[in-house]
Amino acid sequence: MSRANQPAYDAIIIGSGISGLVCGNYLAKAGMKVLIAEQHHKPGGYCTSFMRRGFIFDAAAHSFGGYRENGILWKVFQDFSLDKKIRITRYDPSDILLTPENRVCLWSDPERTIEDIRASFPEEADTYGEFVSMLMNPSLNSFARMRSWTFKDLLDQFFRNEALKAMLAFPIFGNGALPPSRIAAFIGAKIFTEFLLDGGYYPDGGMHVMSKALAERFQEYGGELLLSTPVRKIRVHNGKVRGVVIRNTLIESRHVIANCDARQTFLSLVGKKHLPGEFAHKLNHMIPSLSMFVLYLGMDQPFLQNAGSNVWYLPHFDLENMYHSAARRSHKNIAEFMMRFSPDRKSILAFVHAPYRNKSFWLNNKEKFIESFIMHLSQVMPDIAQHILYKEAATPHTMHRYTLNYRGAAYGWESIHSQLADVDFRRPSFLQNLSLTGHWSTQGLGIPGVAYLGYDTAATLLKRRILPS
Amino acid sequence: MSENTIETEVISIIADVSGFETEEINPDSKLADDLEIDSIKAIEIVVALEKKYKISVRDEDVPKITTVRETTELVSRLLKQEKMAHVPS
Repeated sequence: MSRANQPAYDAIIIGSGISGLVCGNYLAKAGMKVLIAEQHHKPGGYCTSFMRRGFIFDAAAHSFGGYRENGILWKVFQDFSLDKKIRITRYDPSDILLTPENRVCLWSDPERTIEDIRASFPEEADTYGEFVSMLMNPSLNSFARMRSWTFKDLLDQFFRNEALKAMLAFPIFGNGALPPSRIAAFIGAKIFTEFLLDGGYYPDGGMHVMSKALAERFQEYGGELLLSTPVRKIRVHNGKVRGVVIRNTLIESRHVIANCDARQTFLSLVGKKHLPGEFAHKLNHMIPSLSMFVLYLGMDQPFLQNAGSNVWYLPHFDLENMYHSAARRSHKNIAEFMMRFSPDRKSILAFVHAPYRNKSFWLNNKEKFIESFIMHLSQVMPDIAQHILYKEAATPHTMHRYTLNYRGAAYGWESIHSQLADVDFRRPSFLQNLSLTGHWSTQGLGIPGVAYLGYDTAATLLKRRILPS
Repeated sequence: MSENTIETEVISIIADVSGFETEEINPDSKLADDLEIDSIKAIEIVVALEKKYKISVRDEDVPKITTVRETTELVSRLLKQEKMAHVPS
């Protein structure tokens, strides 16, 4: 049968972040005619890198997890033979939890981590072993118990020491932008399992290497990738999505997959008139996650220690307070932070969570933030200021400009219970043939989270006929 | 609410979460084997049912639901208990 009266595509994916790329690869490999439209001039969303004065900086995502055998990224690499294109190195320890008094490394070998914990918190070391074992062997029972808990409830079930609890919760705060008392236990547990217990992986050459390899493979499977191509509308007729409008032209497709900001998808691309009142009301009341301020430093000499490890510095244990102060962040209240020495030992990426604010705030404050942030980093690296050759930063507005994530949100919607697992943000019941994937679909975040969603979205469209690798 | 209505609604929720069409799902469908519902999706279904019917599934009952029929029966039973609890004595 000719395609003459058929839509031009089987699927159009809006946004070439990791979820869109993974989804596109599965669909194209299965023989579907797929188009990915990306507004930016390079693929990857938050998973990309840029070059300045000879330094390669990762823009936002700076390592990934879920690469152990049968982990979601491992599966993606196997299914698309990406190991032939990229070399992955695992940095060990993946994460270092640092306070003014204590230091705990999270090693790839949990036994080694337990010994680290024993040195500072002897009474909690074995408990950590039990905690890890529960996370690594999740049963339906433990999931069932956890479904209404916060991550704080989960930590309280195991640990007694408040300092250790805060140290273990701090990377969850960093990777989820919520304190343990607010983030759903289920999401906190996923971050802990996928980012920390199986984290520290890095594509040789920079994070963009992974996005680029996925984009190339997608094209090799016959997919079309259009860069610098914003989608203006998702065309809806009688409750059915018919295609998208690019450069004033309707391009028809059997399915449209939005791997972009959910507010933009529903309010500007689909249009409010196609939304049930109740859903529009819900959408307007959803809370996005905080954004971030990212500092990039090029250094004058290679440093010897901790290359490739995420260093999480917490000056105090009140994560609740950290969250509230992050939401009102000024250059005068930078305290906690994450810093990472690049695997090539030449540069540093550091970030704190920050609110969106307005353009003039960041015009007036960006330089002050940079200087104040560098001063705070000297708590971990005393002579840092003398070794900086190049400094630059991304504000929440930069995050928004490159990805169009609402208010520069780092992780989609906040992962609080009331905003999770909402089917209307995955397959809206009121719009046939539209799916959402990625971190705005209320079901997961981070590279492993969105890669799983990309796989699951493709599997759904293909009626689960994805052949095992 | 009739058992049939509940069954239709439960199937619709399972369809949304699993990605299978409602026509492909019948009361005897096994959640794990036929509908590829893993533990994460199983919890999503339970949470969706709890939100929709304003019921509370006991933790120990979650692993006992293995088919669509068992899911429907559990919802009906909890709704009946709910109703009994609200009958004035």
